[in-house]
Amino acid sequence: MAEHELDDLGPVDYLVIEFPAGHQTFTGEIAKELVNLVEAGTIRLIDAIVLAKDENGDIEAVELADAGDLGPLVALEADLAELLAADDVVNLAAAMDPGSVAGVIVYENIWAGPFAAAARRAGGQLIANGRIPIQAILASIEADEPLEPTGV
Amino acid sequence: MPLRPARIGRVGVIGAPVAKAAVVGAAVRPGPAPVAKAAVIGAAVTPGRRRRI
Repeated sequence: MAEHELDDLGPVDYLVIEFPAGHQTFTGEIAKELVNLVEAGTIRLIDAIVLAKDENGDIEAVELADAGDLGPLVALEADLAELLAADDVVNLAAAMDPGSVAGVIVYENIWAGPFAAAARRAGGQLIANGRIPIQAILASIEADEPLEPTGV
Repeated sequence: MPLRPARIGRVGVIGAPVAKAAVVGAAVRPGPAPVAKAAVIGAAVTPGRRRRI
């Protein structure tokens, strides 16, 4: 990857979406929405695998290409980079409950690339990032009731 | 089915076993509660709300 391409690379995240035993209703909606995100240029799908953990805790990893009817994901599968190593599969599966199935995706946040590059060019360094759980927002709001709108 | 050979023996990118994000999971459970929560969270991001320090 050329230096200018690295400079414009957006942050890379991963998600592990678990489907507990008995709660697996796959209608194709997830695949459709994922394709929509890619086609809109919001993300670039870098890797995707399917994990299954049996009741004994044994893990089976399935490449997306081997996961059956891919539907609209066929268009994305050919461009996957296979970034995840076998060790990563074990580490990711540690979060899963026995009897569950999980989809793992690794993706570049394309939408954030130009902003991140601009920040770097200005001398900025990312020193912290994270996700605020919905529960934390709720707790904050509920502790702050009643709200006091200002500037209206 | 086995993983592709390219994944075997490589240095990983995750680094350590991942812990389940129980909080996030609870936030998306179905039922009436998330609907009410959505309204509260909506209020949290309403323009004009200011932090009190």
